[in-house]
Amino acid sequence: AMASSGPQNPSQIMPLELVDKCIGSKIHIKMKGDKELVGTLLGFDPYVNMVLEDVVVYEISSQGKKVTRLEQILLNGNNIALMIPGGEGPDN
Amino acid sequence: MSSTRQTPSDFLKQIIHRPVVVKLNSGVDYRGVLVCLDGFMNIVLDQTEEYINGQLKAKYGIAFLRGNNVLYISAQKRKA
Repeated sequence: AMASSGPQNPSQIMPLELVDKCIGSKIHIKMKGDKELVGTLLGFDPYVNMVLEDVVVYEISSQGKKVTRLEQILLNGNNIALMIPGGEGPDN
Repeated sequence: MSSTRQTPSDFLKQIIHRPVVVKLNSGVDYRGVLVCLDGFMNIVLDQTEEYINGQLKAKYGIAFLRGNNVLYISAQKRKA
């Protein structure tokens, strides 16, 4: 079983390690509901609350996308559904 | 120009006493000066303004925001 695997196989990567590798790069985050964000990841904590800079927030509705720009934010990890390292956002 | 690695608690220490925007899950925005906050994202703001759908709806002296409602806390970057 996974729990008894002993020393980590170097080819096995844990989720938070993947997030850590993304620090300093762009990340695309999809929230629960109709919001997405793209920004540069500065750091995060074990709850995956995230510090981001130069953020674009997309609010997606039937009327189109509303865009907000923010310089630096702490995003509450509670509402994060999906994270895409290097992602460019919903305009792709 | 890019900032160094910063955890949430570093960020929070840095933004205290600065003007911030707090967005709640409901979409309501609160702007004010950050007085204090805790690890649950409970926040106290001074000179608080409440924006609903981008429109200023109310002003409060001091306001307490319960952390479970907070989507994000946003601050202007400090110019060097």
